[in-house]
Amino acid sequence: MTTPTPRVIVPNAAAKGEIFQVKTIISHEMETGLRHDDRGNVIPRKIINKFICRYNETVAFSVDLHEAISANPFFEFSLRATESGRLDFVWEEDGGAVYTLSHQFTVG
Amino acid sequence: MSLTRRDVLIAGSVGFAGVALFSPRSARANDEALDLVKQLTGRTATVSDRLHLIMPTDFPTGYTVPMSLYIDSPMTEADHVRQMRVFAPRNPIIEVASFHFVPQRSLPRVSTRIRLAKPQHVVAVAEMNDGVLLMTNTWVRVATDGCA
Repeated sequence: MTTPTPRVIVPNAAAKGEIFQVKTIISHEMETGLRHDDRGNVIPRKIINKFICRYNETVAFSVDLHEAISANPFFEFSLRATESGRLDFVWEEDGGAVYTLSHQFTVG
Repeated sequence: MSLTRRDVLIAGSVGFAGVALFSPRSARANDEALDLVKQLTGRTATVSDRLHLIMPTDFPTGYTVPMSLYIDSPMTEADHVRQMRVFAPRNPIIEVASFHFVPQRSLPRVSTRIRLAKPQHVVAVAEMNDGVLLMTNTWVRVATDGCA
C-alpha cells in the first residue's frame, strides 16, 4: 500500500467576500472491508473516515466519509474569503492516522 | 423528412408508454426515498427542487461515479443548511457521506466521486437550520459493480 499523500488546489489570494474554490485529493485505497483475499479472509476496512477544512482555526467545511466514497477521495467545495490567514486540511484514517496540509491565504 | 402515419403512431404509443411507465416510477422512487429517509433518520423529509443532485444517468464503472450536490441557500445565521447526506439504497452499505457546511464560511455545494454497486436511485437529503429535511433523488445506471 502506498503512503497516503494529500494535495490541495487553492488560490493564494482573494478579495474580501469573494467565493473561492478548493479542490482536495488524497491518494488512498479506501479499503471498504467488504472484499476478501485469496484465502477468503475479509480484508479489514481502512478508509479515510473524516475530512475537515479549518479557516483560521474555525471549521469551515467537513465531511463524514463512508465506504462508498471512491478510492483517492476527492472533494471540490467553495469557501468565502473573510480574512487573511491559514487554511488547514485534515484527513483522518481508520486506526487513528492523520494526514494534514496547510495553506497561507491572503485577503486583499 | 416526411412524417408517415406509422411514425406518428409509433411516436404516440412510445410517448404514451413512456408516460405510463415513467411517471408512476418516478413517483414511486420518491416514495421509496422518503421511506428510506424516515427509516434512517426517524424524520419525515419533503421532496424539494431547491436541492440538486447531479450525476450521470449512465456510467461505465461503478468505482468512480461523479457526483455534485448543491442547494439554493443564503447561508446566513438565520437561514442555512447544516448538512447534506447522500445515500445509495442498493449498495451493501447505504450511507455514502455527510457534508457539513458553516454559515458565512462555506457554500452548500460539493463535488466528489462515489462507488455504486448496481443501478439505483441515489438519494440526497439536506438538513436546514430549522430542522426541515429536503430530499431529492436521481437515477444512475452503472455497468459494473463498484463495491466488489
